[in-house]
Amino acid sequence: MISILSRKPRSSAVIPKHSANSTAPLPEPLNQAPAESLGTRPIPTAAPIIALNRVCKNYANNTPALIDINLAMVKGDFLFITGPSGAGKSTLLKMLYGEEKPTTGSIHINGQNIGQLKGDRLAMLRRRIGVVYQDYKLIPLRTVAENVAFVLHAQGYSRKEINRRLPITLKMVGLQDKADRFPSQLSGGEQQRASIARAVVGTPPLLLADEPTGNLDGDNAQQVIKILRRLNDMGITVVVTTHDEAMVQQLTYPVVQIRSHRLYNFR
Amino acid sequence: MNWAAVSTMTVLLFLFGVSLQASWQTEGLLNQFGSQLVISTYLDSGVDASSLSAQVRRLPGVVEVESVTKEQAWAQLTEDLGLSDVSNASSELRGNPLVDELKVKARDAQQVPQLAMTLKAMNGVNDVLYVSEVIQQLRELNEGLRWVSLTVVGLLTMTAVAVVTTTIRLIAIARRQEIEVMQLVGATRSWIYLPFLLQGTIFGLVGAGGSWGLLLVVQQGLQSLSTSQQPAFITFLVNGLQLSPQQLFLLPMALLGLGIGIGLIGSLLAVKKVAAQ
Repeated sequence: MISILSRKPRSSAVIPKHSANSTAPLPEPLNQAPAESLGTRPIPTAAPIIALNRVCKNYANNTPALIDINLAMVKGDFLFITGPSGAGKSTLLKMLYGEEKPTTGSIHINGQNIGQLKGDRLAMLRRRIGVVYQDYKLIPLRTVAENVAFVLHAQGYSRKEINRRLPITLKMVGLQDKADRFPSQLSGGEQQRASIARAVVGTPPLLLADEPTGNLDGDNAQQVIKILRRLNDMGITVVVTTHDEAMVQQLTYPVVQIRSHRLYNFR
Repeated sequence: MNWAAVSTMTVLLFLFGVSLQASWQTEGLLNQFGSQLVISTYLDSGVDASSLSAQVRRLPGVVEVESVTKEQAWAQLTEDLGLSDVSNASSELRGNPLVDELKVKARDAQQVPQLAMTLKAMNGVNDVLYVSEVIQQLRELNEGLRWVSLTVVGLLTMTAVAVVTTTIRLIAIARRQEIEVMQLVGATRSWIYLPFLLQGTIFGLVGAGGSWGLLLVVQQGLQSLSTSQQPAFITFLVNGLQLSPQQLFLLPMALLGLGIGIGLIGSLLAVKKVAAQ
């Protein structure tokens, strides 16, 4: 039996069977419903944009990082992945954009088995995935505008198209007046917003954010979440990892938790 | 521009150019001494070349026989000596002093001494001449030198690849963050590698240009030797060392090809390693 976690009827996060039957205590309840009761909701018929099937990941020293992960999301979903530091949230996210390969099991993104892709085929799939990093990964010697436009250059967009997309994207994250600043001249929140702009300027249908608020104060974190929600309202599927449970509590989006290397239905 | 990479490339290509040029020139020089397969057979005075030609052609190991009459030989000699008045020279020597000659070409070098002995023993043959042992040894020496230069060029090629790889790798490491972001946003391998490959190619191009310049200077020096007053043997040697128009085209092309090849291989190795990290 599978359980479905959803904020909207179209939204689904499919949690592994073991989570429903697990005897291990679940985290402190956050409107937590038994997984079985959630299972009565209809399984969405739309093709999943993310589908993980019995994914296991071992570290190089063969210790397990993730065990038997099953997850499915359809277009337009918003999902929080929580868990303590070192639980494997970033590893899970890295597997979603092909930076890490699963040891066993399969990961399908947009119908393509990302674990089997490499070289230019992986590059082509990555063009459909925006990634926001906790450490921003902005290029220090390029301005905000150059950092954002860099993605479009790398993906082969024309100069005209770059000039069209750039101001719209910078305006969306509120950095239109700081386009010519270098990353070192920006605050942490601004750098993270620049990182989001870079992730979405190519209009990917899927956005993965790895601890996007991890280094930010409350106000900046709120701003970042607001942008992510707005992007989700535009139809982008968003996956956010965080260890900030207080922030997750304030929102009504589905939440899953990684604990003891396994994925549990949290809300 | 990284001068360590460019200068290593220049030195390598210069030595490659020198060895290639030396090999061509020695070959040319040896050819001036005559082909090692041809036996010059001088007939007795009064014996007609055409009378022996058919008989010689039937000998085992003979591929080709060319008759040179004494008149043809005399005309060639007077031309070589720069004498304008042939008849005057002939009258002073009381007629043509030369004899008819047969140029006998053997199938291979091993048969030459045996064939020469057979020819010398024939009636009507005065003397035979063929490429001496010294020339043969010179050829062997040339062959040996070619191997030595190939080894040196091979070692230097590896050095140049290593220097270019290290240089480009340092450049790529400095831009590692950029490369990582490029990979994560879906840039293709060719898009990521291209700037580094271009840099390696430029090292090769500049190195080839520099080495070609140095070779031209050397060539110029040899040219001035041949034009100034020198003993005949030196002039003869220097003339043998001149490059043909075809070689003058092939040499820079070979330098360019090797330079670009090394630049590309070095930079590809470097960027692949950094991109894989």
